Amino acid sequence: MKVKLLRILFLSLCLNCRWQAVATWTWDAQDETCGICRMAFDGCCPDCKFPGDDCPLIWGVCNHAFHLHCILKWVNSQTSQAHCPMCRREWQFKG
Amino acid sequence: MEEPSPSVCNLRILDSLSHDSVLAIVQSYNAFCSIVDSLLSGTEDHSVAAEFVPHVHVLCEHGLDSFVCERLFKSLEEAFEKNGALRFWRHFDAYSNVAVLQKSGTHADDELQQVLCAALDEISLVKNYHENCLSMLVDALHSYKEDLPEGRYNLDAERKRLLSRYQLMVSSTLMATLPRQFPEILHWYFKGRLEELSTLMEGEPNVEDGSQDKDDMDVDEKAKLAYKNSEMHVDESYLQGKLTQNNELVKNIGKVVRSLGSLGLTSMAEDAYASAIFLLLKDKVHDLAGDDYRASVLGSVKGWIQAVPLQFLHALLAYLGDNTSYDYPSPGLKSPLAYHPLSRCDGTNISSEGLVRWKLRLEYFAYETLQDLRIAKLFEIIVDYPDSSPAIEDLKQCLEYTGQHSKLVDSFISALRYRLLTAGASTNDILHQYVSTIKALRTIDPAGVFLEAVGEPIREYLRGRKDTIKCIVTMLTDGTGGNPNGSGIAGDSLLEELNRDEEGQENTGADDDFHTDERQAWINAACWEPDPVEADPLKGSRNQRKVDILGMIVGIIGSKDQLVNEYRVMLAEKLLNKTDYDIDSEIRTLELLKIHFGESSMQRCEIMLNDLIDSKRTNQNIKATIQQSRTGPEPQDSELSLDMLNATIISSNFWPQFQDETLNVPEPIDQLLSDYAKRFHEIKTPRKLLWKKNLGAVKLELQFEDRAMQLTVTPLHAAIIMQFQDQTSWTSKKLAAAVGIPVDVLNRRMNFWTSKGVLSETLGTNSGDHVFTLVESVIEGSRNGGNGRGREDLLIGDEEGEHSVASVEDQIRKEMTIYEKFIMGMLTNFSSMPLDRIHNTLKMFCVADPTYDKSLQQLQSFLSGLVSEEKLEMRDGMYALKK
Repeated sequence: MKVKLLRILFLSLCLNCRWQAVATWTWDAQDETCGICRMAFDGCCPDCKFPGDDCPLIWGVCNHAFHLHCILKWVNSQTSQAHCPMCRREWQFKG
Repeated sequence: MEEPSPSVCNLRILDSLSHDSVLAIVQSYNAFCSIVDSLLSGTEDHSVAAEFVPHVHVLCEHGLDSFVCERLFKSLEEAFEKNGALRFWRHFDAYSNVAVLQKSGTHADDELQQVLCAALDEISLVKNYHENCLSMLVDALHSYKEDLPEGRYNLDAERKRLLSRYQLMVSSTLMATLPRQFPEILHWYFKGRLEELSTLMEGEPNVEDGSQDKDDMDVDEKAKLAYKNSEMHVDESYLQGKLTQNNELVKNIGKVVRSLGSLGLTSMAEDAYASAIFLLLKDKVHDLAGDDYRASVLGSVKGWIQAVPLQFLHALLAYLGDNTSYDYPSPGLKSPLAYHPLSRCDGTNISSEGLVRWKLRLEYFAYETLQDLRIAKLFEIIVDYPDSSPAIEDLKQCLEYTGQHSKLVDSFISALRYRLLTAGASTNDILHQYVSTIKALRTIDPAGVFLEAVGEPIREYLRGRKDTIKCIVTMLTDGTGGNPNGSGIAGDSLLEELNRDEEGQENTGADDDFHTDERQAWINAACWEPDPVEADPLKGSRNQRKVDILGMIVGIIGSKDQLVNEYRVMLAEKLLNKTDYDIDSEIRTLELLKIHFGESSMQRCEIMLNDLIDSKRTNQNIKATIQQSRTGPEPQDSELSLDMLNATIISSNFWPQFQDETLNVPEPIDQLLSDYAKRFHEIKTPRKLLWKKNLGAVKLELQFEDRAMQLTVTPLHAAIIMQFQDQTSWTSKKLAAAVGIPVDVLNRRMNFWTSKGVLSETLGTNSGDHVFTLVESVIEGSRNGGNGRGREDLLIGDEEGEHSVASVEDQIRKEMTIYEKFIMGMLTNFSSMPLDRIHNTLKMFCVADPTYDKSLQQLQSFLSGLVSEEKLEMRDGMYALKK
């Protein structure tokens, strides 16, 4: 009797529950903030309104991460070969 | 018989008198006296005049004419006092207690009318008689003077002089003997007549026309008709009939007024009928205005003034005006009162100025009365504001006339203090009243000066309440859910106000939200009208005035930032507890708020909503990957699938801080979560998910043998109940360990399930340890007071301290802790400091990150927190370190 009740309860709980969970997303980067704009990676660069997909991060081969928009601006502003703003190594997007 | 004493003064004349002349004087004087006495006692009639003349001549010859006059006046005075005044007042002896008699009804009223008329007739007769005597003397003097060759004698001037002297004597005698109740009697009389007239006038239109179709006219129309009538004066035939009927009445009143006037009681009579009119008017206003605020009464009051008191005054003044054109009725003639035909046209010209003055007086009085009445009830009027706008409109007009706005402000503020700004009133009610006040007073006073004065106490009071901001935000946002049309129930929500701003005159059927903007633009363009020329440019257009309301509400808090912050917290709460991704109404609200607060301040809220939209998409994508993997050979060994899991993925930087609570979810769920996170990572590399396991909502269905319960609960509650799948009974300690929360938190949360009748609580073996057991059958469940049988409950976060988002106060407290060290350091140096100095010092030195941006109140509450933690102490308004 008791077992039967428990069984029913168990089944119902597992099958009928709808779990609305909450999670925060974060960029899997070592740093907290973008070395260029000093804004949080989980936020967005100063030109963007929405974080996340709209303002992605990009890694260089040197493993430094920046907001895509920030580093692009940086790269485009350089006349010759651009360097990583953090370590001065030649900047190349990590494939 | 007294000696002729006045001649003592003229001793020289006395010397020159011969014995004969003395004898002649004495003889004539004695004869004169006896004639006068007999005349005044009424035994002789005017036939004695012939004898009277020679005696007067003799006396005059000796230069005693003034003496003769004196003697006559003395006798007249005595006679008047005896025959006139005393008898006159005796008529009113029965009315010594007017107030009592007034209650006895119309009978006494009629009686009084008769008595007054009779008394006035009588005294008029006496007076006329006396005046005749006087004119006899004048004639006698005249006939003597005419014989004299030198000096022109002015008969009329002399007559006038003597008559006015007599008049003075009469009125002074009456005044001297005036009984106390007489003014009241007069007042009563006029009141009675006016009421009679009033009923006569009001009954007129229907009776005269004889048509019954006018019976259903409302008061306004009737008043309008009466107004029209009075404008057209007398050229309407039926009006003639009405007037002739009234004329009788008015003539009677006029007679009384004039009789009183001739007795020198003019001012008293005027006072009496003026006060009667005002009293009647006041009654009328009170009667019309009453406690019903849904109809405008000003028009009907004005109409009534035209119809009754002005008609009356018109007739009265016209009637009196006929006589004021001459001075006094000549003594030899009979009184012209009864025979004089009433010529209205002449009267109109004579009295028009007086009538206009009366009209102004009456209207001012009516305005003032109505205004006082409305001001006294302003609080109630504003409570049911949208319905009571006619009353407000009335009040506005009254105030324009009287200009007593300050009265309104004073009285309303004291009403507010007494009735609204008390501990018993809920913040919501106060806010609603505040909004209604703004709306109502804006009608009265578009410039907003008085509104400012009235609003200040409310704002001041609301600032002292903790939940003000929360209530404001609730007001702003509620009423949107599922009902964006803002009809009916949402009538008092502020958002409706905002909605109306945005929608203008658009019909409420805004189902097709997509085209709102374009349609709105068209509609606005189509129905645009220029502002009237006299419109105050400061007032702005309709749209701006709406903003004004919001501005005034924001003014309560001081800055919009706090409001936005509070809204953010509430929005976060709402979003996190959603089990679907339906955020249409929130988007709508946000759009409206953006219009008012600017896009930049609502940026974070927008990101939050965007997160929800993104989450929905991501969620679908992840579900799609499951479907793909299902097609593979992977066996379905687990009963749980990712179908039951939905995730809200948020950008934590832009959300308010969350309550950090650890929670161990049941193993299968935990697996699901990590699976979900893995899939997310696959789709969105290099992003990863961090679960906030204590947040969210769980819809679950509990099935027992004979019942089912559908509930939406917090993850914590779900985790707890799931623990009972394996084991029907848990001690609180073990359960707390299993779920991963402190025991006291657990005990608090268990209330939810016990109150639902799912679990029962018994005291365990150890003290402080509770045992929770699954309730197995309905009987047991109902015995435990479970009442949630088989119905769907939506219960999230309604228990104390269960909000998933940290409240604003908590956040501030957290932020303030940074400054604790500063404050401690300050107080070690200065030993003790007052609040504002601490505040200023912090402002001065904490400029670097994080900048000190807290208000004085926030600092105060933080400091008092420190005091209660016994870190500080406070003496005489100075904070010091606790030793």
